[in-house]
Order: sequence, then structure tokens, then C-alpha cells
Amino acid sequence: MATLSELLADLVVDVDGVFLFSPSSSYYERFTELDEELVVVAPENTVGAETFVELPLEFDNVRDRVKFSIEGAMDRGMFEEGDVVACVVSTFGGDIDTTIRVRVGESMRSGVYDLFVNSRADPGVIRDVFEVAIELGQKGQKGKPVGALFVVGDAGKVMNKSRPLSYNPFEKSHVHVGDPIVNVMLKEFSRLDGAFVVSDSGKIVSAYRYLEPSAEGVDIPKGLGARHMAGGAITRDTNATAIVLSESDGLVRAFKGGKLVLEIDPEEY
Amino acid sequence: MQAQQFLTEVPPRWWLALAVLFIGILLSYVVTVVNRRLLERAGVPRAIEGTAFERMAHELGTSTVSIVAKLSGYFVFLLTLFVALTVAQIEYTTLFWSGVVGFLPGLFLAVLILIIGIVVGDKVELLVQERLRGVKVPEVNFLPRLAKYSVFYVAALIALSQIEVATLALIVLLGVYALAIVLFSLVALRPMLQSAAAGTYLLLTQTYGIGDEIRIGEHNGIVQEVDVLVTRVETDGEEYIIPNRQVFNQGIVRVR
Repeated sequence: MATLSELLADLVVDVDGVFLFSPSSSYYERFTELDEELVVVAPENTVGAETFVELPLEFDNVRDRVKFSIEGAMDRGMFEEGDVVACVVSTFGGDIDTTIRVRVGESMRSGVYDLFVNSRADPGVIRDVFEVAIELGQKGQKGKPVGALFVVGDAGKVMNKSRPLSYNPFEKSHVHVGDPIVNVMLKEFSRLDGAFVVSDSGKIVSAYRYLEPSAEGVDIPKGLGARHMAGGAITRDTNATAIVLSESDGLVRAFKGGKLVLEIDPEEY
Repeated sequence: MQAQQFLTEVPPRWWLALAVLFIGILLSYVVTVVNRRLLERAGVPRAIEGTAFERMAHELGTSTVSIVAKLSGYFVFLLTLFVALTVAQIEYTTLFWSGVVGFLPGLFLAVLILIIGIVVGDKVELLVQERLRGVKVPEVNFLPRLAKYSVFYVAALIALSQIEVATLALIVLLGVYALAIVLFSLVALRPMLQSAAAGTYLLLTQTYGIGDEIRIGEHNGIVQEVDVLVTRVETDGEEYIIPNRQVFNQGIVRVR
């Protein structure tokens, strides 16, 4: 006669590690004595965990969240291919309600962790630009959908691979992404054509840039427009990351090294 | 009959003294209330919220404001008490009391300064702590405490000098301490200050911007970042982080 708790026991039998997603501190305390390796995944390390993977975006999709954290743990050499981990996560918001059994492998690598942590620009800056792009995608400019292209990091090289379309509104200014007023400002400037260039530390260097990378060997899905092509190509020529908000389908996409790394729907945030 | 006799026995000066004492009590009460109102109106309770002294006062069922107000009340009352005694001409006490009266304002001031010193010190500690919250180095906790005790020390010094205790040695100590801080900042922070001054100029005038190709000294490359202290210049495979004061010492070449 099987009981309900055996159902859960099957899921967690022989796992090599446990991932706790945004646990409350009392919940975390209960599991500190486990034999298996314990990894806490949260936007902030509020529980003082030893091994901690920072979640830069609240991925709405649980799959993305799990993939991101496993990639992060693999990056630190905590797990190898073939290890099995249990992820304890909240699917519907609020308290933790789901346990997932996952086999660690290269297929887990989507490059999202790499995008945030190993980019040239600070992780916080990339997150801020993402948030601006997502907010822009949700609200648009005066109700109409807008497109935007942010090139983050390696600004010196990007500036040399591009030319101004008009006078730079950010010249002699010291505006950083993440400053309180910037979202409104960028929203207003998003009706300008061209790309925004953001430096490693988050300073907005320029708007109105026409990017001139060579588009050879850029591998992006067919059907995406000139904005995505330019964004993808500049990341192949420089060490920058491009974050593109599409005007036609409203998705936010991130490019790195000439490849599409992440695709998010702003409406789901 | 007896009561009348008693009344005539008592010298009229004593009645006067009694009246003075009564006025004194009234006055001290008024001073207490007015002072409390003034302090509350000036926003003192909010300003000192959270300091250790205020918390201690709360535990004792009172507050800093009422302590200070009561102190001023007692001061006024004691003063009138002495006036009353003088008016009553109680001979054998005058000699002693005249000394005390001379001493009293100093004592009152000293206590007041001590309280202010403790509260300000606590507040300084809180403010510095707030500022340093972003700096995640355990040893940095030392700084707020240093600031607090510096304020305590100065307050104690002023208070002691109010009651005319010889404080020369302590003042010398303070001087040495201040000198040490000045010397330390001059020696240790001079390059930083120079860089910051140069960096402020560079940020304001934007002599060169991100993406320009420049040469500073022997370093040639593309500017990646300019902040208050350093300029980051990059060539293929190498990144130079150059303190801004070097930009001023050596000049810049803009490569076109």
C-alpha cells in the first residue's frame, strides 16, 4: 500500500543536491542539516546561505528559473553532468509548492546565467536595462508599441563601431540606468531611431547611434528585422551585450557573442 | 491669640522669602512646560529618535526632552531657593551657599552639554552607520564608534571645563588626536583627493568622452569609462586603469 509521501520520496531519492528557491529564513533553517548540497536561489541572500545563486530577474517561467540556477551551480563546479538535483520552488507565487527532479546536463545551459554574470557590464546594469526594456514593452510609448535597442558594455569599442544619426541628447550628462527618472527619459527617447549605448558601469553614453558592425557570421533567427540584426552583429564584433525590444512582436531579446541568448515576453512580468 | 503672637514673632523677611519661594515653584513649572513645548516644536524628539540615550530614557519611563525640560525647571527652582534664603537672611548659611550659587550655573550647563553630547554622539554614529551600509567590510564598523566617542570626548571636555576642572592635559590629547587625523588624511588620502579633484573637472568639462582614442603618458587606447577617481583606457587585450591625477600631471593627447 503506497502512501502519498512515498510519491514525494520517489522524486527526491538519491539526489546529489537541493535547490531552494526564495525560501523564508525559517524554511531554510529546517534544511541546513541535510547531507545533500544545499543551494539557495533568490534575488537576495536574505537567509545567509553558504551557497547562493543570485536571481537577477524574477523569471516567471519556472523552467527558466531552474535552468538559470543549475547553470549557475554548474558554473561554480558544484555539479557535473549526470548529477540529479531536486528543485523546491513556488510555481504559482506565494509559498513553495513544487518539487522538481532534474538531471544536470549540458542541455541545461541556455547561456542566461552567462549573460548576466560573465558579461563585461555589471550584472546589476544588465538587469536594470532588462527592466527598462520590459517596462517599455509593457506600456509602449503613449499606448503604441515601440522598439528599442540597448547595447550594454564595452562602450568605447561600440562608439567606434557606430556613428551618430543626430546630436547626442546624453552628451555631457551623467545619467545612469537605474536612476529613478531614467525610465521615463528612455521612454521619451525611444521614439528616436538608432541604438542606446550604455557603458560597463551603467552610464548612458549615447542615444541616436547608427551601428556599423560587419554582419558576417551572425546567427539569428530569420524573420527578425534590422534592429535585431544590428544588435546581434555588434555583439559579435565587440564584447557588448545587446538587449532588443521588438516593435512588431513586443518580445525582449538578448544577444551575446552574435547569438540569441534569451527571449522574454514583457506581458508575463 | 496664640496664632497672632506666632505671626508677629516671625520676621517679615521670612514671609517675603516664602513668597519668593512660591513664585520660584510657579516659575520653574512654567519653565519646564515652555521648554518641553519649545523642544517638541523644534522637532527634537524626531531628530534624536533611535539614539541609545533616548532609548534608555524610554526604558526609564521618560524621554530626553522631558529630562532636559525638568533639568531647566530644577535649575530655576534651586536659584529661587537661594534667593529666598538670602532674603530670609539666615546668617550661618550664606557663606556656604554663596559658593554653591556661583558654582550652580556651571554645573547646570555641564549636565546639559553632557546630555547634548551623548545624544549628538549617538546620532552621529547612526548617520555614519547609515552611510557605510553599502560598504561590506566588517572592520568598517569601527568608524561609526570612533565618530561617536570623538563627540563624547569633546562634550565631556567642554562639560568639565564648565565646572572648572583642569582639562589642559585632555585638551592636549585632543589636539594630538586631531593632528593625527589631519596627518593621516593628508598622507593617505592625498592621491585620492587629487584624483577626485581632477576627476570632477574631467566629468564637468568632458575633455574626453567614452569612445575617444587618447594617450596618457605611455598608455594609448580607447576610453571605456571615466569616473571620479580613475579613467579606464583599453587597447586590444589590455586595460589601463589610470588615476585621474595622472591625467593632469602628464596631460592628455587626443588621437584623431
